[in-house]
Amino acid sequence: MKKEKIQTEAIHAELSFETRRHFLKQCRTGMGMMALGSILDGCNIFLKENNQLGTNPLLAKAPHFAAKAKSVIFLHMAGAPSQLEMFDYKPELQKMDGMDCPDSFIKGKKFAFIRGVPKLLGPQTQFKQYGQSGLWLSDNIPHFRQVIDDVSILKAVNTDQFNHAPAQLLMHCGTPRLGRPSMGSWVTYGLGTENSNLPGFVVLTSGGRNPDSGKSVWGSGFLPSVYQGTQCRSEGDPVLFLKDPNGFNRDLRKSSIDAINKVNELAYQEYNDPEILSRIAQYELAFKMQVAVPDVMNIADEPAYIHEMYGTKPGEESFANNALLARKLVEKGVRFVQLFDWGWDSHGTDPGTALDMGFVTKCRETDKAVSALLLDLKQRGLLDETLVVWGGEFGRTPMQENRDGIQNFHKGRDHHADAFSMWMAGGGIKSGFSYGETDPIGYNAIDGKVSVYDIQATILNQLGFDHEQLTYQFQGRQFRLTDVFGKVIDPIIA
Amino acid sequence: MTSFFKSKIVLTTATLVIAGISYFLFFTETPVDYNAEVKPIINQKCISCHGGVKKKAGFSLLFREEALSPTESGKPAILPGDAANSEMIKRLHSLDPEERMPYQEEALTEEETRTLTKWIDEGAKFDTHWSYLPVKAPLIPGKGLFSWFKQKDGNDIDRFIDEKLDEVDLKRSPIASKDVLLRRASLDLIGMPAPEVIKQKFLRDNSEKAYENLVDDLLASPKYGERWTALWMDLARYADTKGYERDYIRSIWRYRDWLIKAFNEDKTYDQFLVEQLAGDLIPNPSDEQFIATAFHRNTMNNDEGGTDNEEFRVAATLDRVNTTWEVLMGTSFACVQCHSHPYDPFKHEEYYQFMAYFNNSRDEDTHDEYPLLREFRNDSKLKYEKLLSWLNKHADTKTASFYQRLLKTGQQCINSITVDSMYNAALEDTKSLRLRKNSLAKFSQRDITNKSTLLIRLNSFVDHGILTLYIDQPNSKPVASIKINKSKKEWDLVKFQLDEKLTGKHDFYFKYENPSLKKEKDRGLLVDWLVFTPSFPLKTSAAGSAFYQDFLELLNQPDAEFTPIMSDNPSYMKRKTFVFERGNWLLKTQEVEAGIPALLNPDKNNKLSTRLELAKWMTDKKNPLTARTMVNRLWEQLFGQGLVETLEDLGSQGMTPTHPELLDYLAYTFMHNDNWSVKKTLKRLVMSKTYTQSAETSEQALKKDALNRYYSHAPRVRLTAEQVRDQALAISGNLSNKMFGPSVMPYQPEGIWASPYDGRSWIKSEGEDQYRRAIYTYWKRTGPYPSFINFDGTAREVCTSRRIKTNTPLQALTLLNDSTYWDLSIQFAKNLMQENPSSVKQQIGKGYKIATGLDISDKKSKVFEALFSNTMQQLNKDKKRVNKMLSDSSVQKQGNELAALAVVTNAILNLDEVITKN
Repeated sequence: MKKEKIQTEAIHAELSFETRRHFLKQCRTGMGMMALGSILDGCNIFLKENNQLGTNPLLAKAPHFAAKAKSVIFLHMAGAPSQLEMFDYKPELQKMDGMDCPDSFIKGKKFAFIRGVPKLLGPQTQFKQYGQSGLWLSDNIPHFRQVIDDVSILKAVNTDQFNHAPAQLLMHCGTPRLGRPSMGSWVTYGLGTENSNLPGFVVLTSGGRNPDSGKSVWGSGFLPSVYQGTQCRSEGDPVLFLKDPNGFNRDLRKSSIDAINKVNELAYQEYNDPEILSRIAQYELAFKMQVAVPDVMNIADEPAYIHEMYGTKPGEESFANNALLARKLVEKGVRFVQLFDWGWDSHGTDPGTALDMGFVTKCRETDKAVSALLLDLKQRGLLDETLVVWGGEFGRTPMQENRDGIQNFHKGRDHHADAFSMWMAGGGIKSGFSYGETDPIGYNAIDGKVSVYDIQATILNQLGFDHEQLTYQFQGRQFRLTDVFGKVIDPIIA
Repeated sequence: MTSFFKSKIVLTTATLVIAGISYFLFFTETPVDYNAEVKPIINQKCISCHGGVKKKAGFSLLFREEALSPTESGKPAILPGDAANSEMIKRLHSLDPEERMPYQEEALTEEETRTLTKWIDEGAKFDTHWSYLPVKAPLIPGKGLFSWFKQKDGNDIDRFIDEKLDEVDLKRSPIASKDVLLRRASLDLIGMPAPEVIKQKFLRDNSEKAYENLVDDLLASPKYGERWTALWMDLARYADTKGYERDYIRSIWRYRDWLIKAFNEDKTYDQFLVEQLAGDLIPNPSDEQFIATAFHRNTMNNDEGGTDNEEFRVAATLDRVNTTWEVLMGTSFACVQCHSHPYDPFKHEEYYQFMAYFNNSRDEDTHDEYPLLREFRNDSKLKYEKLLSWLNKHADTKTASFYQRLLKTGQQCINSITVDSMYNAALEDTKSLRLRKNSLAKFSQRDITNKSTLLIRLNSFVDHGILTLYIDQPNSKPVASIKINKSKKEWDLVKFQLDEKLTGKHDFYFKYENPSLKKEKDRGLLVDWLVFTPSFPLKTSAAGSAFYQDFLELLNQPDAEFTPIMSDNPSYMKRKTFVFERGNWLLKTQEVEAGIPALLNPDKNNKLSTRLELAKWMTDKKNPLTARTMVNRLWEQLFGQGLVETLEDLGSQGMTPTHPELLDYLAYTFMHNDNWSVKKTLKRLVMSKTYTQSAETSEQALKKDALNRYYSHAPRVRLTAEQVRDQALAISGNLSNKMFGPSVMPYQPEGIWASPYDGRSWIKSEGEDQYRRAIYTYWKRTGPYPSFINFDGTAREVCTSRRIKTNTPLQALTLLNDSTYWDLSIQFAKNLMQENPSSVKQQIGKGYKIATGLDISDKKSKVFEALFSNTMQQLNKDKKRVNKMLSDSSVQKQGNELAALAVVTNAILNLDEVITKN
């Protein structure tokens, strides 16, 4: 009897596994093989190497090699912040302020809004050197001085998309078009999650808008939807439908879920369908999530010094709150936290997008919290195992925008794909380091040029993945995040 | 006949068979089967370096001529008939790690090496993959000689299933109960529980044909079309918005309605496809045929400021190619965009030859999504009809049809964004041409043969503008100058009379001047489009001039419904198609003509050049892919998995069919016996005993065939997102039967919509529109309806060939807590209390019966009764709680009993048995 039970369970485990086989793609099929029951003779790397027979697609899994980082926090400044007013100091550009942009820079080039011959625009703020590393920082981000010795700044990042939606997709999904899985989905597909009471991949947005490319930047594309990012919200339910209907309390919810599960167990006895067992488990998990998610999303109980440090105000939808939440989430074992802060599109068409007005506000709104996040992770000993990435989807032109040939009323810059700045910190990345150089006006990368794919390859590398091997079979071929590109940025690895 | 005689025949037969097998085993050796044995090894072990993408050392195994031609070493790697001397085989055995193949990977197994060796010794023949071979009528197992002694029931489908079941010594399960069949067939055929009339008729029908009658009733129900439309909307990537950053509204719901009607009237599948792919090219297309072509106008459109319209036009065109192959022909063609197919014999340039069919359509990523079909309403409709009959009387056929096409589709209007050069003019937000104080815009090489008038649709912001037209030279004598004052309506039509003697192609210059504007850069007007028209009949007569006014009015701003459609460029504007290097649209290389990949159209003389010809080829009975793809999909919809599990890929990297002969039988009968009738094929499927068997699973079946690939019992399949909603609406008695019309906005939580630069919000629909079937729910690509997404719906940015079913806590949370489902639970409870006021036990039993179609067992009933009394106890402790639970004050007076029963009905809506087809 006992033996039979074990056997049944094994078959069920196999079956549940097999119903999700699509993402653990086996190599061989055919009736004969299945009759022999050797379903698991697959070619999946996880199977072979880890010999896991999980029924839970989110079960924690080991990567290809020893990881430096356990989790990732990606701070995306949606709209593309100006590197020339933050990290990439260009005194030469200041000297050339107001001059016509040399023909060699604009000939044959396409811009989103610049037409004709634009004027060069010097940095709209002051720069100084800070920290032991002596890296240059603008006055727009004074708090960042405290953590400058903890980051590696990449000054010559390059993309090939200069419109927001496609560029954001390229950054997160490795393609400017829709339909591919996002980085966070790849990571949860590869690593599973360490805290099953929380989603493995969480998205937090601020700035009042979703990113330009919509929810696809945290979508699971062709990967099963369990791997898509779960948007946790600061207002309303932190996760959609998490809160019970009015008048329910824990007791009532518990008795209702117990009843559902009891009847499902009876149904299991009738049908023998292992999917029912899985559903029972999901209801138990849902019950636990109802407590775990609001708990982790509640920042009100944080001590006063933490609120002071981040500049957080409980109950608000703000970047600062999201930064603090990011720390709490990785602390609880969430793999991938993606923050989007909307409103960085500094064209200079109105005060909100002017480099000397709206842009300064955006810097102020985020600077303190970004710095606090790094300090906080550090004081908790989490920075070593958490990779923090900061950046936009592209950069901004050294020229002042002249929309349709007319100089914009405010100081603003157009979209610029050729060179922009990002930084990474923690998770095995060098600290107090700068990599890559742009030309004297900050137009082109002249040294240490890295692509968006290189960023992705590096993130995966720190998590213990060979980006060329983390693949998924779809439409008859192996897909990966980095398409056919990408090279780990070795110089910034500690 | 005596049984003795029978068994003797059996014995003799058995002897013969055994003898046959022995002969077969000892005296013949079967040649290697390329598709079954060789190709899988090549695909798995060799092709990633020696195939479409990479040809390491100049060696490729994709096409035979490639495989046999000399490699970089100067010699071919394969010598047919001589494996021993073939470099490919030598390399498998090599001991030098630099030489041994697969390079730095695990060596092939002995068996694999033997297979490849034997294959080369036998001549290294390449066979065509099964799915690219024509569909032949397969022999039905057990219908041949000696079949009469075998027990059998069911239809031909069951013969194929039984044959395989015999191999593993399993048997089909007994037929499921009437209650189970009612629910199963209803969910499958109409996507929701059967309407009361159909249900009662079936339950009372005790004839042998009761089930068949039920199937016929369900197929005839208008709900049938709605259910299958839900599937097709995924394939067509239907959405009510355009996608990308701003994700603005798109009005394309008439296409959804077209689908419902087409399914309901059982439009034959070949015609169904022809109209969707090329309805506009059918002679004298009807409005409906135009609307069908919206299939390929569901591609996304980018309104983001500063985007290159041509880039996104090309992206849409590529999407049409990929979608056509993936969803209609089960072939992963997208990889051929960048290089030859790595696994299947399609060449890089063949992708672009195919793209040429779609590359000549008029859509240009314009903000207004031209071309649009206009369906006139009210006064406009009357005017249009009168005008048309007048034109048919007074104009020659060509002119009349020109005006008709122009009014119906806005073609051949020239979009202002295609301006060829500008001076002090600009494309405003890349959406329309803007003319400034002193500006010039040029449209090159426009054919005006037989055209006498130029109409321009523009919006002037100011008075005192002067628009001057020049032909061929900007400094020549102007054709005319026209005063332009501030537009009163949004758009005005401005008219230039042309010299009727002018023919052929000419350049057109528009000069705009306006002394009242202060600065050079101040804007004067926007141009939407321009169009050259032939002379209007009897224009000088009173009647003619009145009709001409009607024409202008109808052309400019009619009262009409607008739907994006396909329409091709006039021949002189035909776009050239080029091969894109590595799929990059900016790297155009060799020019190509429209054509079908050689593998599928071996006759080089069979030139197919238009979309209509393409559609005819796709729906020709000789096309090996179209019917197979569709019947495989229908099977998947009913049985939860396809006969080929990878619906999107029947190619050599797709999964092997579990029942290849059955797949071909279904494809063959679909085309030949049922003449492409989807309803007949569905009936054939659901009438099989394989379909009607019970879902209960024996231990033996679980052990031998855990995946139920042999179909020894009916599969249990979780309902789709749409079915989950529709069923809950039906169960709770709220379902609206209203069909068709613009999409609606049922309750959804706050904050789902938040596209940049888009102030629109979700405005909750009123009345019965709250309770429409899921297919009528507004589908915004960047913020899709959350409960659908939680149940594996997709954003529909691109086509979805197959939804991968998941089982997540978010699904539990949706059904437990989404206000929609809680409200429906209350309604459901209320109905139950009204029907059975006295007994909670009866209410529970009835609720379970409505939801599952089954009588509740004592055990289950006790669980719910306990939940009810437990809830009552809790509510009795706190008098205020009930009003919180029942937010609608009209039901609050029913008090604790209603709230407690709603907790039970909500639990019922959450049951696995309820969200699963049993």
